[in-house]
Amino acid sequence: MTQLAQYLVGGLATGSLYALVALGVVLLYRSSRVLNFAHGDIATLGTFVAFTLLGRKLPFSLAVAGGLAAAALVGVLFFFFVLRPAKEASLLGKIVLTLGLALVLGGAVQVVWGTETLVFPFPLSDTRIYRVGQVVVSETSLGTIVTGIVLMTLLYVLVQGTKVGLAMRAVAQNADAAQALGIPARRIYALTWGLAGALGGAAGVLLAPVVFLDPFMMLDPFLKGFAAAVMGGMDSLPGAVLGGFLLGIAESVFAGYISFKFKTTMAFAVIILVLLVRPEGLLGRVYHRRV
Amino acid sequence: MRTLTRLIIAMTVVAALGTAAVGQPAERGVTPTEIVLGTSMPMSGPASPWGMGVGGGIDAWLRHINAQGGINGRTFRFLIRDDAYLPPRAVANVRELVERDGVFGIVSQIGTANCYANRDFMVESKTLWITPACGADMWAGMRERNRYVFITYPGYVDEGIFLTKYGVESLKAKKIAVFYQNDLYGQQGLLGVKRGVHAFQAKGAKLVAQVSYEVIDAEVTAQALKLKESGADTLIIYADPRRGALIVREIAKVGYQPTLMSTFTLMDPMMFMLAGEAWNNIYLATYMPMPGMGDARTDAALATITRINPALARLPFNAAAGVSFVEPFLEGIRRAGPALTKERLVEAMETIKNWDGEMIRGVSFTKDSRQGINRMFMVKSERGQYTKLSDWYTYPKKF
Repeated sequence: MTQLAQYLVGGLATGSLYALVALGVVLLYRSSRVLNFAHGDIATLGTFVAFTLLGRKLPFSLAVAGGLAAAALVGVLFFFFVLRPAKEASLLGKIVLTLGLALVLGGAVQVVWGTETLVFPFPLSDTRIYRVGQVVVSETSLGTIVTGIVLMTLLYVLVQGTKVGLAMRAVAQNADAAQALGIPARRIYALTWGLAGALGGAAGVLLAPVVFLDPFMMLDPFLKGFAAAVMGGMDSLPGAVLGGFLLGIAESVFAGYISFKFKTTMAFAVIILVLLVRPEGLLGRVYHRRV
Repeated sequence: MRTLTRLIIAMTVVAALGTAAVGQPAERGVTPTEIVLGTSMPMSGPASPWGMGVGGGIDAWLRHINAQGGINGRTFRFLIRDDAYLPPRAVANVRELVERDGVFGIVSQIGTANCYANRDFMVESKTLWITPACGADMWAGMRERNRYVFITYPGYVDEGIFLTKYGVESLKAKKIAVFYQNDLYGQQGLLGVKRGVHAFQAKGAKLVAQVSYEVIDAEVTAQALKLKESGADTLIIYADPRRGALIVREIAKVGYQPTLMSTFTLMDPMMFMLAGEAWNNIYLATYMPMPGMGDARTDAALATITRINPALARLPFNAAAGVSFVEPFLEGIRRAGPALTKERLVEAMETIKNWDGEMIRGVSFTKDSRQGINRMFMVKSERGQYTKLSDWYTYPKKF
């Protein structure tokens, strides 16, 4: 039982990161139907900016804020200077544009910061541990889980409980109608891109102390976060969170009790199974189009 | 008149062909003033610390030789291609270097799986290959086919046996666990430990867990828990620097404190930076004197390459390893003389007997053996330094 609890704790910590990545993916998909393949690279860029600011002796909170702002800015600029001018492009064309952004950002990060593996300074200790009975939780893991949950809650409150969130939902449902009602759709889209970028940056900052910082650190978490979003339902924010946590826990328990070698395979097998039973994802809604 | 014209044209063609033949270099990648060498390394991705250290070390040492006027009037041009530690890219890189860039030889290469993917092409194309940095055991049984391969790098199977032997005999290891990368590199290390455990069964040695990770895995939390569950008193690590650092941190996090042993591939002091305090009291095998352990020649060579490329100061062991890979080859070129050909170089390399370089020591090749070294010793990490613990341990030559 202790073993299982320990695997669950490990899975929760990993799952909270997957959930953060998934939230960014879903946030954009809900509003624009664009799958952002540059999400991981935007997150990496934000984390490197935070790392540089930390190196310039800025307090941790300011450095992280700077990193998140940089990630948000990249999202906003991409919307205004690439997606907006290409508004006539098909959905597939826009997705390919995000792939292009991923390549550009990946290359830029390697040129500016190099490909070395770096240690990301983090205020929480990786070796200071807390014991709940026999179960051990490190300060970093605890911090990751708590921060992840706080960020998810804040996002939920923003989307569901504020006027900005209402505008975001309106634009997501029908951009033309929302604009006719006086909602500045372009600015709302830009805000969504910025928020998604900042969420990715937050995931990067939480992940970097756990897996070290390098230009490729988001590759696996992005794939898993993307998969979590699909599993939870691409248009459901709670679904993204649920998918992230389920995926993290399933991976951890499967690896612990069955096989490390097929940990990732299993994660995707579970997703296929879920989609076979519920093609719209765990908490996704079925859309019926009238013709 | 017509016959005379035909004769003149024929003679002109023959003369032109003859001139072209004279103008061609005697050997691919060798001109009167230059020797072109190449390699494929992980300059990006999880194994980039290896690629940047080893590739940078080779490059800096060749620049140092060039600054001294080269060897026998020729300087070196060194082409590095990034394979990101991916075998398919390593294959494409090596083919491009050999077939398009026309290099004289491939120096090193990193990753057992990457080298294995290239082995048949290198053997069939009869390309010189100097110390591929991958488990040397893959050359065992290939005596007839490895004429152009020269290796001063240990096999992970031999190393795994040595680590187990030292663990059992000197550290009282009984229950042994292995954390390994699930590819040929980690699997060979695991095989070595299994053989070691088998050999020391009578002394109570037992393999209680073998826990792997995939090269795409971002974190190893579940692996750390599994290792803790195993109750092993000794953990042997065959991983890349990132996962090696992660696993020692993760097991510290879950309160598990076995005796830690590791392959020499994780010897670089950058591990102290990545793993911090967790990289203390680790027992590692090594096949050459470490920079900073009191060997003046090694320290001087490291100072030389770090003057040329200051970034190498962060990866001293890997940079030193890079120098050790290319040194015997340069000695072979010296011995081959000015009329350098592949065959002359092979003959010259076969005359190297118990030769000491600036980094590598005791290198010997013969007509029948391409295994330049077959010995290791044990060191221990303590407060950011490595301390020598044992004398040389010699293992049988296999190829």
